[in-house]
Amino acid sequence: MKVFKTLATSGSALTAEKLRLDTIANNLANMNTTRTAEGGPYRRQVPIFIERLQRVGVQPGERPPVEIRSRARHNWESTGVRVLAIPQDPNPPRIVYDPEHPDADEEGYVEYPNVDMVREMVDMITATRSYEANVTVLNATKNMLLKSLEIGRG
Amino acid sequence: MGVNLWDGDQVSVVLKKGLDTAVLRQEVIANNLANANTPLFKRSTVMFEDHLRQALGKETGRRTVREGVTMEELAPRVVRDHRNSMRMDLNNVDVDQEMVFLSGNQIKYNALTQFISDRYSNLRYVINEGRR
Repeated sequence: MKVFKTLATSGSALTAEKLRLDTIANNLANMNTTRTAEGGPYRRQVPIFIERLQRVGVQPGERPPVEIRSRARHNWESTGVRVLAIPQDPNPPRIVYDPEHPDADEEGYVEYPNVDMVREMVDMITATRSYEANVTVLNATKNMLLKSLEIGRG
Repeated sequence: MGVNLWDGDQVSVVLKKGLDTAVLRQEVIANNLANANTPLFKRSTVMFEDHLRQALGKETGRRTVREGVTMEELAPRVVRDHRNSMRMDLNNVDVDQEMVFLSGNQIKYNALTQFISDRYSNLRYVINEGRR
């Protein structure tokens, strides 16, 4: 059923955008975390979004028939978005001179996380607006579904 | 010549194809918006109305299917839009534009369902011998 697939498409985007919001919240919460389990300061995390592709006419988890097992572009249809990974931002940490800090090195410099508050705020707005756009599409699809139930009534 | 309201007549076929197209277009718009922040993603569009206009061969004056494309063969096609955008991540989804298409598609879908409902309501009127 195409219409329910459309709902799933919007749903995947809602999940992805919410995960991005979670990541931003985590980045902001750890803005001043100088010590982590793997050593060194906290590093900014960025979710990587990728198009979710599905073989045409094959349900998820089902083994596709031999004739459509090739990776040719036309055998795949796009069914939303998914998060590929949440890697760490490779940029160097913020260096602050603070000899009193317990995590300061011999010269008195402390490595702070490479989280930029302004950037996180801008990303947060983008994520929120994208979420809202996808909610609008979800509602539109829902109204379409309900409208088709009215065919032949009255 | 009687009007076959159930199926098979030209109007029903066109209406059904129109609904199919609206549903497919909804899917494509939803996917475009879902990937509005996916780097390297390119938006898709649905091609149908131009093919329909061609199939309906307007030049004869009679709305008949032109040779070559039959109405049954006519199907909406999903086409990738590979044009570039000014965005740094090479994604070419314009959220505002997609929203406009979304509302247009809604109205089109509602119009089609309304039209189909009216056709069935006419049929019911005849079955009830003119009594509502």
